[in-house]
Amino acid sequence: MPSFFKDRKPKKKRSQGEENQTPDHQIERIQVSLSDNLNMIKQKTGNSSDVVIREIKMGGDSDIKTAIVYVDGIVDNQSIQEYLLQSMMKDDHKEELNQYNAIDLLSKDIMTIGNISSVTNLDDLFASLMAGDTLILIDGVDRALSASTKGGEKRSISESTTQMVVRGPKGAFTESLGTNTAMVRRIIKTPDLWMESLKVGRVTKTDVTFMYIHGIANDKVVKEIRQRLKRIDIDSILESGYIEQLIEDQTFTPFPTIYNTERPDVVAGNLLEGRIAIFVDGTPFVLIAPALFMQFFQSAEDYYARFDIATSIRLLRIFMFMISLIAPATYVAVTTFHQEMVPTTLIVAIAAQREAVPFPAFVEALLMELTFEILREAGIRLPKAIGSAVSIVGALVIGQAAVQASIVSPAMVIIVSITAIASFATPSFDMAISARLIRFLFMIGAATFGFYGIILCLLMMVVHLCSLRSFGVPYMAPFAPFIPVNNGDTVIRLPWWTLRQRPRLITTNTVREGGNQNPHPPASRGMVNRDLEEGDNNEA
Amino acid sequence: MKRKAVFLLLMMTMTFLLTSCWSKKELTDLAIVAALGVDKTKDGRYHITLQIINPGNVAGGMQGGGGGTQSPPITIYSASGDNVVEASRRASGRISRRLYYAHTNLVVVGEKLAKEEGINTLVDAFDRDPEFRNTSTLVIANHSSAADLVKTLTPVDKIPANKVLKTLEFTERKWGENVKTSLQEVMKSLESPGRGTVVSGFRLDGNPQQAQKLDNLQESAPEATLRASGIAVLKQGKLVDWLYKESARGTVWILDKIQGTDININWAGKKEAIAYQTVRQKTSVSAQVKNGKPHISVHTRVEGDIGDMEVPVDITNPKVITKIEQSVRKEIKKELKTAIERAQKNKTDILGFGEVVHRTRPNQFRKLKTEWNDVYFPKLDVDITVEAYVRRAGLRNKSFLSGVKENQK
Repeated sequence: MPSFFKDRKPKKKRSQGEENQTPDHQIERIQVSLSDNLNMIKQKTGNSSDVVIREIKMGGDSDIKTAIVYVDGIVDNQSIQEYLLQSMMKDDHKEELNQYNAIDLLSKDIMTIGNISSVTNLDDLFASLMAGDTLILIDGVDRALSASTKGGEKRSISESTTQMVVRGPKGAFTESLGTNTAMVRRIIKTPDLWMESLKVGRVTKTDVTFMYIHGIANDKVVKEIRQRLKRIDIDSILESGYIEQLIEDQTFTPFPTIYNTERPDVVAGNLLEGRIAIFVDGTPFVLIAPALFMQFFQSAEDYYARFDIATSIRLLRIFMFMISLIAPATYVAVTTFHQEMVPTTLIVAIAAQREAVPFPAFVEALLMELTFEILREAGIRLPKAIGSAVSIVGALVIGQAAVQASIVSPAMVIIVSITAIASFATPSFDMAISARLIRFLFMIGAATFGFYGIILCLLMMVVHLCSLRSFGVPYMAPFAPFIPVNNGDTVIRLPWWTLRQRPRLITTNTVREGGNQNPHPPASRGMVNRDLEEGDNNEA
Repeated sequence: MKRKAVFLLLMMTMTFLLTSCWSKKELTDLAIVAALGVDKTKDGRYHITLQIINPGNVAGGMQGGGGGTQSPPITIYSASGDNVVEASRRASGRISRRLYYAHTNLVVVGEKLAKEEGINTLVDAFDRDPEFRNTSTLVIANHSSAADLVKTLTPVDKIPANKVLKTLEFTERKWGENVKTSLQEVMKSLESPGRGTVVSGFRLDGNPQQAQKLDNLQESAPEATLRASGIAVLKQGKLVDWLYKESARGTVWILDKIQGTDININWAGKKEAIAYQTVRQKTSVSAQVKNGKPHISVHTRVEGDIGDMEVPVDITNPKVITKIEQSVRKEIKKELKTAIERAQKNKTDILGFGEVVHRTRPNQFRKLKTEWNDVYFPKLDVDITVEAYVRRAGLRNKSFLSGVKENQK
């Protein structure tokens, strides 16, 4: 047994040694000489062609050497033109300007641009340069001005492609963080909507903003998220998936513990329930935490549709989720272990189909499921023009040729198709994909022990689900722990006027709406005609 | 610690996988037995006949199109043995697959076996087997061996076992001269003290040799067919009598298993002139014991419609309806009486009167129990009361015959 632990201790020491080296590096300040500074910038950026350095002269005698530095493409050219260059070069203050008051005058009097800050060290200087700000450097001053000129090409707001609804707002988030936060701001117009921003990624320096409603969100969760975000030390954040994987509670689980969406109304709804949204620059997918299991079966439209419709659709979704989990497993179990559970005529029909199939049911099911997964994966990545070819080949090869060649039975094709369709009925792609994965486990269980195996796997799954937590909130809430008040919005959705409380484990402020919200129509049905004079309705 | 956990997990996974597919049975390795016939050979052994489904020929359709008529939907195998289990195991020498009894919905017992040895000794094997269903129907072959009945090919319902079951089910519902008895019900009534047992009978009409041939099905009116026929009366497991017609229907009626039938009554001198179809009926049997002598009263209530009239009857007149109702009452009473008399003659209490006495007077029945069938039951006083009502008259009120009659005047 000791041999198992042989090489553990030395490893730890090594990693500690590495940590100690990182924190100390000295802060470099901006130099006085302009040419030194410009050289420094050129050297640091490797003379990159998109770094534009424009040297101009200011002051009455044109003796103040100034330089404007920006990165082409990520700045708004128009604002540099109109508000920076124009105001700097043709200004009335020329006479007063000298080396010493240049900075103050520029920022206070001359420049007509919104956000200006003064930068003293090189780190900040490069950070703002690379973020799309324009730097103004003046000879003889060891400070620089950074004018906010972020801009450039970006995608406009378009319709959501991953979470479509029939009824509800259509717009989806874009890649630009500012646009995204604004879209939420536009929905929730309260000063209590608080935002905190930080830069994550040693190299990419990606803007990450988390948003919550003060007074509704739980402060402990906010603190926890802040801590976890700050702890991230990685070179790059290219998508919110990086953040999700670095801050989630449990890595070794097929189930997602952080929700993501590209719909502003979903983010708003979740913020109002006390959750916290994490926006990452460069992706339209916003993370929402803490996430509960049931949340992945809820679509935005559930809340817009009337409650009876919403409830039945939700029930259907859960049924579909179960189908996508256990349909192939059930087929395997029934045809290899429990033939007695099927009506005679059906088992005879299945037996007739299986008669010529050379594989055991499990292999048959595995084969078909794998083929389908291959088709699906291939179909996603293909260019649109070739995509249709895949579906034709898929439909013909699997649907017909495989059956005619007696490689699979028609019943199996039906099972695989219904499983595939069912897996698309889960609104959240993350949950659907995890069901896709677990399905194979269920199939192995079914092939080994029949229904007993399926139940065993189901049991294990439920136990695992109950053990999960998302930022301290039990994943299966409000089922385990059971919270009766919050069950109105789970597998069912009760009318809005009964959902008086926010999810209790997530928020600190549970009161959502006042009592007595149920509509009270006047008792008399004749009220429409009340204003009419008597005898009016006898005519016509 | 982590390594240990991984190691442990690996071991657990291994044990899970090493069980492989315990108790797995592939569908293509199963011979689905649809029906089982049991006969007695000359040397007193059991001879079982297995009706095995050929799935490809039944389901057809998927490849050949119309399919199924070229080869029979079932194949028959048979074997003998000292008991049913031995015979079943011995049959495996002839079948390429494992015999699978979970879909055996029909057990046929040959008349000879039922008469001479009784079915008591058979039933335990069926009851004990985990695959075999207790809900499968037990049928006694009427005037033929079980083998012949099982071998017969049937039209419409390709699987003969299904034909037998469905025939029993629907004739019980529409005509009421037959009962569908499951193995479980038969076992229950065999166990019950002083109780005779009824089992449905089935008969092969025509030549048994012809019945096995596919040619038989090529005709629109097959020469050899199966039909439900009579109710077998079992006394202590042995076949003692067959009930047909009135006595059969009367028995079903008293057992309260009837679901619908048709009764004809005479009208205005014409025999069987009005057809009365029953819709709802309820029979209750109650018992009293006076001076140690049991007394039974049977009460039946029937509601029904008029289905047909061959003479013009003015049924708009309530008095006429009352008269029809009275005739129906008389007719039904007659049938019930026939059934009771027949049972008393057989000295077999198939009607469950003993159980009713037992339920109402448990202490007194204990004394009667031993001699119930032979002494008390045959001499039993039975009161029969019948209530009959005409509820509807179909789509017509006055028959068009009335119009014919008037115009001819």
